[in-house]
Amino acid sequence: MSQFGSGGGNFYNNNGGGGGGFETSPFGSPSRQKSDVAQSLRPFTIGQLQQATQLHSDAEWRVEGQEVGQVTVVGQVVSIQRQPTNHVFQLDDGTGLIEARRWIASTDEDGTPKDEIAEQRYIRVTGGLKSFGKKRYVNITSIRPISNSHEIYFHLLETMTVYLTLTRGSPHKGADGPVVKGEGGSSIANYSSQNAAAMEQFSNLPAFKRSIVQYILSQATREEGIHVGVIARAIGSSEADANQISQALDELMDEGIVFTTIDDSHFNVST
Amino acid sequence: MSDDQDRQLSPRVNSAQLANYLGKNVRLACKVLNIDVTQIVVEASDGGQVNVQIQSHSEIDDTYIEVVGKVQTPDTIRALACIGMGSDLDMKLVNDTIILTHDPRFKTMFS
Repeated sequence: MSQFGSGGGNFYNNNGGGGGGFETSPFGSPSRQKSDVAQSLRPFTIGQLQQATQLHSDAEWRVEGQEVGQVTVVGQVVSIQRQPTNHVFQLDDGTGLIEARRWIASTDEDGTPKDEIAEQRYIRVTGGLKSFGKKRYVNITSIRPISNSHEIYFHLLETMTVYLTLTRGSPHKGADGPVVKGEGGSSIANYSSQNAAAMEQFSNLPAFKRSIVQYILSQATREEGIHVGVIARAIGSSEADANQISQALDELMDEGIVFTTIDDSHFNVST
Repeated sequence: MSDDQDRQLSPRVNSAQLANYLGKNVRLACKVLNIDVTQIVVEASDGGQVNVQIQSHSEIDDTYIEVVGKVQTPDTIRALACIGMGSDLDMKLVNDTIILTHDPRFKTMFS
């Protein structure tokens, strides 16, 4: 990855790319935003790249209002033109066609054997989006064949996840925030930030049930679990009385998420 | 329809969706069941069987392939290309992904 050195100001530059992470927030100071996004890498479908627009030939690309930095696409090679100074790959991912161009430097050491990137095979390319005349292409900084077909579907799912995250916000911060803040108290809030990964499997639960599971998990070092009364005192509020909690616990039990331990009043989370 | 051809779309489909794409190009990820001289029988990601008309079967040696071709009838495709997908492919994952790509939320990404 040494070719991904520290990026220059111009992210179209061949060695200005790389970097990690996705654009995290569409809001922020515009000047800072630009350099952050320019260094970021986002997976796209080719159809999305064909919809990208720029205000003028030097401006940043935008897809549905979101600034584009480095892009990565997975597509089937339709044709290859090997020229002395560059190779041009025509890629098709089912949503459109795009050219990807790899410039050959005299010192260039291409670690990929030529025959691995052949027509009809799927490849992943990473680079900056550029245009030449009316045509747009990906200026390749990294190219490799897809050796496991699951990556094709991974890429599709990743493009969808990133699209939803950018247009609707992170799934764990958007809808959940108010509930955790309102009822959780600091211990649960701390817990959820430390153990966000552990909570991921419960993210599909309604907020009220999730806060119960969250509380039990935050306390559950003992095998016998937590007494329903303790849960009620921790979670309970005016709109969440004991009946609601016991009903929610019954449903959680039916769903196999919690179970009773030493008696019918102690609950623990199945793992 | 001419717009689709201009943009050279080939949506990923399972067997149930073929009827919606008569005369159009699609991509069908599938398991090869039977190879004949001019036709192969495949199982799509949703389990449905599809007949694929081929030019030559010499290029098909993987268990799983992706057929790019034109839908002739709701269970027949004329192949333009067959891409090898290896000997191991989680068809449930493939099918779930295909269904998501047709979700209206992602209309601007896949169509």
